[in-house]
Amino acid sequence: MKEKIIYTLVYCQYWTITWMKIIPFILRHGLYDTVRDLRRYPWLWIMLKVNRLLGKFGKGRSLRYQQAVSILVSGIVSGVTDMLGNIFFRPDRLIIHEDMVPPEIFKAMGLSTFMAELNGIMLPMIEPHAMEQYIDESENQGIPPDICSLPKSTMGLFLKGETPPAKAMVTSNLPCDAGMSSYALIEQKLKLPTFRLDIPYHFKDERALHFFVDELKRMIAWLEEKTPGKMDWNRLREICEERNRMAELEMELWDLARIRPAPIAGEAIWLSHMWFFNLFPGSPEATDIFRKILALGKQNLAEGVPAVKNEKYRALLWNPPLTHFIDLFNWAEHAYGVSLIMDSMTFNRLPFIDTASNETMLQGLALNIMNGPMARHTRGPAENYMDDIFYIHKQFDLDMLWVAGHIGCKNTQALNGILREKCREAGLPLLIIDYDLSDPRIVSREGIINQIDHFMENIMKAKRLDPKAGSTQESKS
Amino acid sequence: MNSQTNSPALFFEDLLDDPANHLIESAADQEKIPIGYTCSYVPEVLLSVEPLIPVRVRAPHVPGTEVADIYLSSVICSYTRSVLELAMDDRYHFLQGWVFAASCDHMRRLYDNLKYLNPPEFLHILDVPHRQGAVSLSWYTDELNMLADRLSDHHPVRFTHEAMSRAVRERNEFFALLASIGELRKQKHPPLSGTEFQAITLASLVTPRQTLLPKIQKFKESLSGRNGISDYRARILLVGGQMDSLGFIRTIEATGGLIVADHLCTGSLPAMRPVSMNDDPMQSIAAHYLNRVSCPRMMEAFDSRVEEILKSVEEYSVDGVVIEFIKFCDTWGIEAGLMANALRKKGIPVLCLEREYQLSGEGQLRTRIQAFIESMGK
Repeated sequence: MKEKIIYTLVYCQYWTITWMKIIPFILRHGLYDTVRDLRRYPWLWIMLKVNRLLGKFGKGRSLRYQQAVSILVSGIVSGVTDMLGNIFFRPDRLIIHEDMVPPEIFKAMGLSTFMAELNGIMLPMIEPHAMEQYIDESENQGIPPDICSLPKSTMGLFLKGETPPAKAMVTSNLPCDAGMSSYALIEQKLKLPTFRLDIPYHFKDERALHFFVDELKRMIAWLEEKTPGKMDWNRLREICEERNRMAELEMELWDLARIRPAPIAGEAIWLSHMWFFNLFPGSPEATDIFRKILALGKQNLAEGVPAVKNEKYRALLWNPPLTHFIDLFNWAEHAYGVSLIMDSMTFNRLPFIDTASNETMLQGLALNIMNGPMARHTRGPAENYMDDIFYIHKQFDLDMLWVAGHIGCKNTQALNGILREKCREAGLPLLIIDYDLSDPRIVSREGIINQIDHFMENIMKAKRLDPKAGSTQESKS
Repeated sequence: MNSQTNSPALFFEDLLDDPANHLIESAADQEKIPIGYTCSYVPEVLLSVEPLIPVRVRAPHVPGTEVADIYLSSVICSYTRSVLELAMDDRYHFLQGWVFAASCDHMRRLYDNLKYLNPPEFLHILDVPHRQGAVSLSWYTDELNMLADRLSDHHPVRFTHEAMSRAVRERNEFFALLASIGELRKQKHPPLSGTEFQAITLASLVTPRQTLLPKIQKFKESLSGRNGISDYRARILLVGGQMDSLGFIRTIEATGGLIVADHLCTGSLPAMRPVSMNDDPMQSIAAHYLNRVSCPRMMEAFDSRVEEILKSVEEYSVDGVVIEFIKFCDTWGIEAGLMANALRKKGIPVLCLEREYQLSGEGQLRTRIQAFIESMGK
């Protein structure tokens, strides 16, 4: 009873905080304009319900863990209103960019950004069925059903004309053929000036670094020509320095996660990285959120309180998280005591950017892009994929590997055979979850739970801690 | 349509029955070094420098891909799965090296799996840029130089200016002959079918060219005595990626669609254009392969691909375009729809066909081609 009251109090506190961010945005935009834009961009309805994540992530968790994820959601809400502000209040400086091209340089140039894939990643987290209409739109226009559902969602959004008008578009050859090719369609649809970064396959040497730094310079010159943006190197330095501070805090957070049982885990680690490093690097508010999450983890450590009350297993998640079952690890914690410690989208070995000169900043950014998770794992050779998995396994003292086996991700599907054999050799239990990243019609929440149940019962010989865990609440929504 | 069942082209078809034909095996017996490659962004002319012989890796008559599916999964293109299946079965034992291009997700993973499961003695992957232009050309030239160095370290081959110039000259002469045969298809009643032309083209990708040259010359001479093909219903331009099965083309032609031109990864008239040489043969080779009309993996060349097709439609008096691609190919999967829209806007009838590597669903294919031809009023 006491736990429920505390949970409710924390929930109400952050529910109020998040609405206090959403309401001023609506008022600033104006009620009439908000209604008009809700009709023009129907996905806004879902985006504005972003604080639903408070319940998904917070429910049933220990006090500081709940506080950590609530702080994170509060930061996400700020980010969403910031992004919408970019669209509505600064349209003259708006550029569309691919998720694999981080925004540091755009921000230093004074440009507003709209990450094209953000809706496909974000909306299913809030409403699991959100992308179905966009996927259908793409398929109805001739895109083969076997194409990854994230680019299909993105293309569908553009095909339906539900994207804001922008000045230019920046994309790349990452992260996969479908992602790269989708921009041919988007470019044809929008008729926007488009710049494409080419990231080498052999990216680990000086030659690749020089090549890619030149690509970034070319991009800056192009943006200066095609948009009102102008490069402000001092601003870039500030952004990179702030980003470095956030990276330092993140490394401390990882150090906590190495401890068994972990004082902090789950979304506090992976979603904080995904959101803030990809969308808001260099933002003092983002750094502050890391600082607060870290402080909560340290308090837990000092008092010997684990994030997950019954941490029995520590998992590594590979490939992007299951967006339409985003509370998977909240469920797994209660059902089996499985704690998510690290994931492929978060882990990296190049956290800092050298801000000594303009050139070193570009080098640091280039290295970060080339070594980005989807770049080195999905575009790069199989060694990058395998080496990281077994390195993380040891570094974070993990018990199992869960691969989010997105059916549309062909190049990771094509590594499952090798991975199975390597995991067997290393004695690392492996679960490959068959599902689709953005489309719950392919494999439902229940279907995913069934696969996990089979794995836990047959491979891990585990019994359910909470037989009731596995609510069908999401599938009904 | 004339079936040309006794065509001299049958000689070329026979060379395509197995991954290795007797001519490549005899060449290997004479100290030649067959090197396999899987993508048209691997410059086959570089693999023609004496004593190397380029062999486009094919997987004819693969009985199934059960083993490859375990590793590559069933959502990867069936060409790559078929190649891995035969590689696991040691059917490419005659190759003394493999050169890949990191051209698409499927090729990269074929490379990874081959390296893990049955690593060849010599294995190399080229990093081909996704854009054209000076910077990309410089990168690609370096890549070719590195490949040449590795090949020289491993095999008794020297990539001297003279050796490369000779390889380029011989290549240009060979493809000039082949292109001159292809030109005959512009005629109202072409003396050869698309199946025959494709058989010769494919044979030239898997056989030592110098051995093949006299046979092709003889074939060309034989064409002057033929009556042109007149019983076709429509002239078709075939566009797409890897297409090394004659069965697919034969089925289209049996239904009344005469393939008069092609823009394929394995073949393609534009690909037969001569390599222009300057003082730096490696750079000349790189420029030729990087700048030619491309696969949809090249990010910024959609408009030029469409323009090139429009040009061929005009030159070869094409009635309709068939765009074919192997299922699960992401680049072609997205490109096909876009290209079809662009061509239809110009009033050109287009049929998009998703297919498997091996000919399958022949009945359905016939029905769709028939319907397509009828839709053109032919």
